[in-house]
Amino acid sequence: MPSSAMRWCSFVGITLLICPLLIADKVLADDTKIDFQTQIRPILIESCSACHGGVKQAGDVSFVYKDQVLPPDGWVIEPGDPESSVLIERVKSHDPDTQMPPAGDHRERLSEAEIELLEKWIEQGAPWDEHWSRAPLTDPLKILTEPLKKTNLESTSWPRQPLDRLVEARLKREGLHPSPEAKPAEWLRRVSFDLIGLPPSLEEFESFIERTTGIKDRQQLDQIYGIEVDRLLASERFGERWASVWMDLARYADSKGFEKDPHRDMWPYRDWLIQALNQDLPYDAFTIKQLAGDLLPDPKPDDLIATAFHRNTQTNTEGGTDDEEFRVAAVLDRINTTWTVWQATTFGCVQCHAHPYDPIRHDEYYAFMALMNNTADTDLDSDHPTIKIPTDISQRDDAVTKQRHYHERRHARNQLGYKLATGDQWTVLQPTEVTSTGGRLQIADDWVKREGGTFPTGVTYTVMTDATAMTALRLEISPESADPTQWPEQGSLVTHVEVALQRDNEADQVVELTDVFVDAITGDYDPRSVLSEKPNRGVGGYPKLHRPRWAVLLLKEPLTPKQNDRLKISMKHGASVTGSVATPTRNFRWAASNNSAWTELLAAANLKQATEQLATAKRDVDAIQGAALPVLLSLPKAAERSTRTFIRGNWSERGEKIRPAIPVAFSLTPNKIQTRLEMARWLVSDANPLAARVWANRIWGQLYSQGLVETQENFGASGTLPSHPDLLDHLAWQMREEHGWRLKPFLRELVLAATYRQTNRMDESSQKRDPRNRLLSRGPRTRLTAEMIRDQALAVAGLLHTGIGGPSVMPPQPDGVWQTVYSGAQWKTATGPERYRRGLYTYWRRTSPYPSFLMFDSPTRDICSARRIATNSPLQALVTLNDPVYIESAQALAALAISNLANETPVEQSNLDERPTAAIAWMYRTVTQRQPSPWEQAELDSLYRDLLSEADTKATVTNAPSLALDAAALSIVANTILNLDRALTK
Amino acid sequence: MSDFRSELCHRWSQFETRRHFLRGCSMGLAGMWLGGQSTSMPTSVAAEPAHHTGPHFPPRAKRVIFLHMAGGPSQLELFDHKPELEKLDGKDCPASFLEGRRFAFIQGVPKMLGPQFPFQQCGDSGAWVSDRLPMFQSVADKACFIHSMQTTQFNHGPAQLLLHTGNQNLGHASFGSWTMYGLGSENENLPGFIVLVSGGKTPSAGKSVWGSGYLPSVFQGVQCRSQGDPVLYLSNPDNISRAQRRRSLDTLQRLNERTFQETGDPEVLTRISQYEMAFRMQTHATEAFDLGLETQEVQTEYGAEPGKESFANNCLLARRLAERDVRFIQLFHWGWDAHGASQSEALNGGFNDRCREIDRPITALIKDLDRRGLLDDTLLVWGGEFGRTPMRENRGGREMRFVGRDHNPSAFTMWLAGGGIRPGTSWGATDELGYRSVENVVTPHDLHATLLQRLGLDHTRLTYPYLGLPQRLSTITQSPKIIDGILA
Repeated sequence: MPSSAMRWCSFVGITLLICPLLIADKVLADDTKIDFQTQIRPILIESCSACHGGVKQAGDVSFVYKDQVLPPDGWVIEPGDPESSVLIERVKSHDPDTQMPPAGDHRERLSEAEIELLEKWIEQGAPWDEHWSRAPLTDPLKILTEPLKKTNLESTSWPRQPLDRLVEARLKREGLHPSPEAKPAEWLRRVSFDLIGLPPSLEEFESFIERTTGIKDRQQLDQIYGIEVDRLLASERFGERWASVWMDLARYADSKGFEKDPHRDMWPYRDWLIQALNQDLPYDAFTIKQLAGDLLPDPKPDDLIATAFHRNTQTNTEGGTDDEEFRVAAVLDRINTTWTVWQATTFGCVQCHAHPYDPIRHDEYYAFMALMNNTADTDLDSDHPTIKIPTDISQRDDAVTKQRHYHERRHARNQLGYKLATGDQWTVLQPTEVTSTGGRLQIADDWVKREGGTFPTGVTYTVMTDATAMTALRLEISPESADPTQWPEQGSLVTHVEVALQRDNEADQVVELTDVFVDAITGDYDPRSVLSEKPNRGVGGYPKLHRPRWAVLLLKEPLTPKQNDRLKISMKHGASVTGSVATPTRNFRWAASNNSAWTELLAAANLKQATEQLATAKRDVDAIQGAALPVLLSLPKAAERSTRTFIRGNWSERGEKIRPAIPVAFSLTPNKIQTRLEMARWLVSDANPLAARVWANRIWGQLYSQGLVETQENFGASGTLPSHPDLLDHLAWQMREEHGWRLKPFLRELVLAATYRQTNRMDESSQKRDPRNRLLSRGPRTRLTAEMIRDQALAVAGLLHTGIGGPSVMPPQPDGVWQTVYSGAQWKTATGPERYRRGLYTYWRRTSPYPSFLMFDSPTRDICSARRIATNSPLQALVTLNDPVYIESAQALAALAISNLANETPVEQSNLDERPTAAIAWMYRTVTQRQPSPWEQAELDSLYRDLLSEADTKATVTNAPSLALDAAALSIVANTILNLDRALTK
Repeated sequence: MSDFRSELCHRWSQFETRRHFLRGCSMGLAGMWLGGQSTSMPTSVAAEPAHHTGPHFPPRAKRVIFLHMAGGPSQLELFDHKPELEKLDGKDCPASFLEGRRFAFIQGVPKMLGPQFPFQQCGDSGAWVSDRLPMFQSVADKACFIHSMQTTQFNHGPAQLLLHTGNQNLGHASFGSWTMYGLGSENENLPGFIVLVSGGKTPSAGKSVWGSGYLPSVFQGVQCRSQGDPVLYLSNPDNISRAQRRRSLDTLQRLNERTFQETGDPEVLTRISQYEMAFRMQTHATEAFDLGLETQEVQTEYGAEPGKESFANNCLLARRLAERDVRFIQLFHWGWDAHGASQSEALNGGFNDRCREIDRPITALIKDLDRRGLLDDTLLVWGGEFGRTPMRENRGGREMRFVGRDHNPSAFTMWLAGGGIRPGTSWGATDELGYRSVENVVTPHDLHATLLQRLGLDHTRLTYPYLGLPQRLSTITQSPKIIDGILA
């Protein structure tokens, strides 16, 4: 580790170079207050933390933790006294034995300027602020911070929203001016894609232009803009557009991942997501439902469906894989995803060691894991637990409620026996002889243990013991190892138990068993299945044995044996996990009770009632048809797993037992968070300002293609600093406090701001001084996303299928793209109108995602992806030129242009020559929301004419004189227009 | 085009003064395709760290052909000669082999399984090769066998990810992507990282084994096919001729130029260049993938049949692409998972077919590259994601109908040939039963570090910032060793 830790500094160096806006150009006047966040911490991280960081803490000094640097515990800095601070002495030293960074190290000495900064900072008392991203959230506009006071905020009429004042003040400080306002058409195209992911229709566009033309009054104009935004926010398309954004974070896919990568019914979650966004569910509720909807008091069907968010983890169905390894992998993925999505924190680092740059200790990772480690999913091929979701929305709530009731009744019925079992007196049955149909068993005291050999699937044990009077039998199944750090072990599931009474010189007499109660209901099967033979059902631990388990089997009639009678218990193990790996018991014992309460329970009315209710509930549930949506479900208390640290992050090397908690550095106030639900509530509470900053930044990033914090996935000390810290806090505050976490009013504020309404044209000064628009000196100009490019082509061509929600569809993709091992899954190209559904409904198979989306930078959704980095490649050109969807769109667009013309008043024969021009202009306007300039029009007209003459020579197309329009040539022109830079950009 | 390129370069130097690229400036990424793909870019642009990092020291190989035998071929039936194992055939596996070990399918106490085929020593080097690869025996002197490969993963998906991305989990960048990130491509008309798949299936780990992970997506492998369009969406649709396409692109270019003048957005210039490159790619890729242009003699030598999907065709394509300076050519041949669970997956079944399918084309590829002087600067890599056990598989605890071996991460053989690799040698050894690598053990990370070094790249310096860490192919948690002993 140390050697690799050394190398991190090279990367941090790059990070710092990229955020020169905040740390460069500072002139050190005597009274300048040194800012720890932007001036000191970067030096410590870059030059010191490789050896004195979170991972390596040489000499017990870590510049990640305040208490290891400053008194009373720290000894390297004396606040107020740089002269006697060891830090200053060391960085100034030229003695190879004492200088820091050490001589021979590839890092350079600190510069004079850096040393001066450190000295000044210590002189000023070495104030150590918490990292900016975790600092309490306030609205800078309300408290008017120092730099703002110096600027006259009211000097111009430019600002339209409070946020504009912060942008303007910053531009002024940099000696820049905002760009002029964009023309209405430019703004409308931008806002339409940003809010609903589609261009405005020609009618909407023309109506907007008509309404804004000639309006000089600013208020009146703002009102018209506001109405347009309200129209977009009210559109059902809004939810679809923003669902696409969340689906990258949620790693949404229609398959389970890995080898065979089988299908998974995940679409009901996408339906929930679209609906939640359309209804503008506040982000706090949106968060809590997805992370812990199942734990809410009296959860609604939607609350359960929302938890599928964290079931987008992968399930490994490859034969021979260890289900625990991949269960753990899924839990770790949930932890890392939660921290990336809500906290933009690289928490995954802490799996193996303390965080190198941020104050998170190694065991804090596992304390957080303890909050997430007790869901019932176990990497089974079935994706258990799932809920069935009928396709018919009107049946959905009723169906989910029925399943919830069934689940509750299963536990309720078991509770009747559970209480009795835990309070009962059990007498251990000493085994006298054990045999097995495979492998060798041995008797160790009163336990039966595995001795050696091979135990194949279906192996049956026979246990002989002296018969005593009894009403119930209890089977205890234990892990082989007494050391809990070795747990879980391979599964131990008894799938069928038969008991017989043996008496000398008589035939065996069957002892009838009639009911079963267990320590906890786990899996989707009834423990009573052990009374009849069913593979992969029974009692014990499956697919893994996490802890000792027990089951009580009730005798139909009390047994009253004679002396020397023997009991013969046979136990079959018919279960196996993926890859035919058997799950036999390897350490167990039997006990008996002669308590008459068991016999009474069998006859009791409440058991009878519970049994009937359960049977009814099961019938109801069995009758439900629908998609099997994987959801989160907490294990019953008695079956909970204990969480241990993984030594050096290795899941199979477990250390100490850990209590649930959230990392201390992240909570402004002390808390006692113990459950997943409390964790979810904490995330979106005022005690965690990070979540608001991260979410506000993400939304900003969607509009401007880059966040104010460019590393949207990393707000830690190794991420980039915000370009506008005050703006970020203002936005986070507005989102959380003013808009109550609602996305729609927040977006309304952003898109009506003067900042957003600037033209995206780059003039000379904005190009020189603000090449990447980090200072917001112009409007954003960005390439459309993969989904938008497809949706636009379909929309302008009038092909777009407008249905909302439902299962994913398979639009055309080249043959042979789907060839996955051990899987017969076929890409069945949709032939009906659903082949023209919006991009977000495209079937997403993890091992073979839809190729044209991948080429436009869509992530594979194997794991959470916090941002798409737009690229520009020739393969993208091939997609929009040749992919059937763009060809079909171009043809449909040309056909629309022709039929539009035909519907207009009949034109004079002499005007026929103008018809191509009119059709081309119509297509150009429809796609780009601009009137072609005469020059552009002439270019496109000449293209059309040249294509015609080419077609004529080939004589492949008849040029019907009556129409005077050639559909084939016009559709090539349409294809050209759809490939214009203007068409691919917003 | 040259006007545009100089305009672009001008813009570029204006824009790239602060190494913005690494944080995702799309301008930078766009330039990469151009800059990286073009050898004629002015040095002021090429010297920027933006498009690719460039070699750290003079390379010994310019390109890679990686032949991955997906499923894990048995080293004990091909290259790892173990006479001792023969003697134990049919006997119970020693307990020492089983303690603390977990297998994919083997349960309880399995039987040992002797080598199923005879071995011969061949060439001057005396390398042991089994009779399953009779033609390859004649070129064994060209290869360097690493007998001591070892991985940590015993399931296909994770093991393939580890071998190709340096990490068993998803989300990391593949070897080919790293190579592209490090060196760029030298052919501006073809993708620089091309993937060819045969055996009817993609690898277990899916397309992530040639994915770009956290690297920009321009670095991902482009899967090409020997049937249909070699590159997806390469062909013009039926109703658009090449002349029409050219005419349409001319208009597109002129309109986009105007857009650039109006917006000042340099991304428009990049887009113009990409459309032109796409147009060139239509011709060049079609020609590059046309096996019909090879002589009958060459086709026969490889066993290639134009129009089919086969490993032989892909080997011949690999040579054609190497000739065209494609940087990284990745072949996957599926079907080596010889458990004995069925005829097609058994040492006494499908394994023989796989050997036949590769023997001729690989031999031809080595000879052909050598004849054309390409072997000197082409790094040829052969191997699977793990090896097989010296025990016979007993799935479900029972003797199986066909003969097979389970997955074995502790020992497998890979071989290298060509660019900067010492031919006619072998490296490392397994124990006397071929169960564990015991001498000069080589991990996938060691292999990556070594191959990168041959390409002129220092694995510790080829890094990319992601999630707060300088990610690298050899992973920051490992300290891989360059295998000095195999370098020429």
